[in-house]
Amino acid sequence: MDVKTEVLGMINDLFLEDVSDMMDEDLFDAGVLDSMGTVELVLEIEAKFNIKVPVSEMGRDDWNTANKIIEGIKELQNA
Amino acid sequence: MQITNMLATIDDYAKTQPDMAVYNVLGDTHTYADLKRDSDGLAAYVDSLGLPEKSLVMVFGGQEYEMLATFVGLSKSGHAYAPVDVNSANERLTNILTIGEPKLVIAIDPLPIDITSVPVVTLDQVHEAFASKADYEMTHAVAGDDNYYIIFTSGTTGLPKGVQISHNNLLSYTNWMLNTDDFDVPTQPQMLAQPPYSFDLSVMYWAPTLAMGGTLYALPKHVTENFKELFAALPELPIQVWTSTPSFADMAMLSEDFNAEKMPTIKYFYFDGEELTVSTAAKLHERFPEARIVNAYGPTEATVALSAVAITPAMIEKAERLPIGFPKPDSPTFVMDEDGNKLPAGEQGEIIVSGPAVSKGYLNNPEKTAAAFFELDGQPAYHTGDLGYFDEDGMLHYGGRLDFQIKFNGYRIELEEVSHILNLSQYVESAVAVPRYNDQHKVQNLLAYVVVKPGVREQFEKDLQLTKAIKEDLQNDMMPYMMPSRFMYREDLPITPNGKINIKALIAEVNNR
Repeated sequence: MDVKTEVLGMINDLFLEDVSDMMDEDLFDAGVLDSMGTVELVLEIEAKFNIKVPVSEMGRDDWNTANKIIEGIKELQNA
Repeated sequence: MQITNMLATIDDYAKTQPDMAVYNVLGDTHTYADLKRDSDGLAAYVDSLGLPEKSLVMVFGGQEYEMLATFVGLSKSGHAYAPVDVNSANERLTNILTIGEPKLVIAIDPLPIDITSVPVVTLDQVHEAFASKADYEMTHAVAGDDNYYIIFTSGTTGLPKGVQISHNNLLSYTNWMLNTDDFDVPTQPQMLAQPPYSFDLSVMYWAPTLAMGGTLYALPKHVTENFKELFAALPELPIQVWTSTPSFADMAMLSEDFNAEKMPTIKYFYFDGEELTVSTAAKLHERFPEARIVNAYGPTEATVALSAVAITPAMIEKAERLPIGFPKPDSPTFVMDEDGNKLPAGEQGEIIVSGPAVSKGYLNNPEKTAAAFFELDGQPAYHTGDLGYFDEDGMLHYGGRLDFQIKFNGYRIELEEVSHILNLSQYVESAVAVPRYNDQHKVQNLLAYVVVKPGVREQFEKDLQLTKAIKEDLQNDMMPYMMPSRFMYREDLPITPNGKINIKALIAEVNNR
């Protein structure tokens, strides 16, 4: 499975939300993500992709859309 | 160490260690001498207002130093205070004003609504009072059975309940904490002050710290809600004791730098407010192998916590639900069946707590008080509504709720209250809130099952936009922590034989998915 499918599946699983038609929408504004939800999503991503997400560098506008999350994972995989 | 008077104890430190910091907000410090001067000034000012004796004062704000100094000042002038968090929905403020009938509001942060029914003291006036250098003598301070603070909790009908905690209740709790080996509170403790004052988990850090002459390190909300700021601020805190919900520790552990090497001063973790899962305890033990991890349990109505235990590696290795500890020696705690019979070890029933930490009841609410509080063997007692059992060693184990109350990210939420508020939306025909649990018995999401009014769904292109509209519709009524994250739209909802929405059926459906 590709990163996109995995991430969409994860969001669907954790937050019961299919965000495939709103890949660039702010997930905090849309009410899909909040700070505690981010904790769970980051833990899932780290376990699934075997990467370390640099949360201490994450501002409010980083990792806030599905596309940014997917891009972020790809960058970390290639790092 | 035993204290007999919280206020006299705090004032004594102004003499014995005036220059010791009591409060530190990201490097901005205030000493015990400051706290005495400021709380004395505020007490004198409040006295000059001529409020009815012992009347309630609502205090609105976040984690500022002025919050603490105002609380101490109000206690000195004999008034109970009700802390209301800066992130509260407007509806909560008006409800607390109606139910609690405070005679004064002190706004450390600007109020989001106009309050005209009672006098409002602004931050500028608070600063003036602090600076007045009043020579204050405590003649009518809060004492004995007088209310010390009132914490408003979630209620089933949409109206919060004000739990009255007296000075005696507070002493029972504080002295237990200072003297039980499980907490092992250090002298002059350096403690994290993150949970908001409106949440009684805050008492778990301020009461022992002030009683022992230590320092509180406040984390303002704008820091805890932004990972970048949070992870920049954490390593700068020279704290020994970390008090929070397990959820907040989970958040901190997202950073690899949250470990004993980078934060070598942390030797204690005190948890309360929601279930501590084995996985959180195990991870934390890995990061801080030498630190003491304390799991505490108890309802607000019995003053913060009634039992606690230091979690051992053996408990973690067992990988079973962690125990919630040994009850306080002064507070006889039982497991009872529906008929009020005390059950032997190993049998599950409702956890009943009695003794000097049990509240006198809900403020101005005799009906709800009578339903939950009673007398047992000559002592005040409280129905926790929690299921549990004692093991052969006298250790208490938690087994879930009897009713529809849940803990979500540390907040106590009545599902009926969320449902009630959902139904206030102009778009909603009927709705209920349903928790979804993860495999660690922890609430993962709060869902809303909604039947909308005819024609409403067609007005919105996508359901997510309808959800956004409903959330906006309710933002003044619903506390942010209660807002369901996911809205499921249905044509109808399952009904019980008595015609109510069958919430149990929905909980089963959601959790067997």
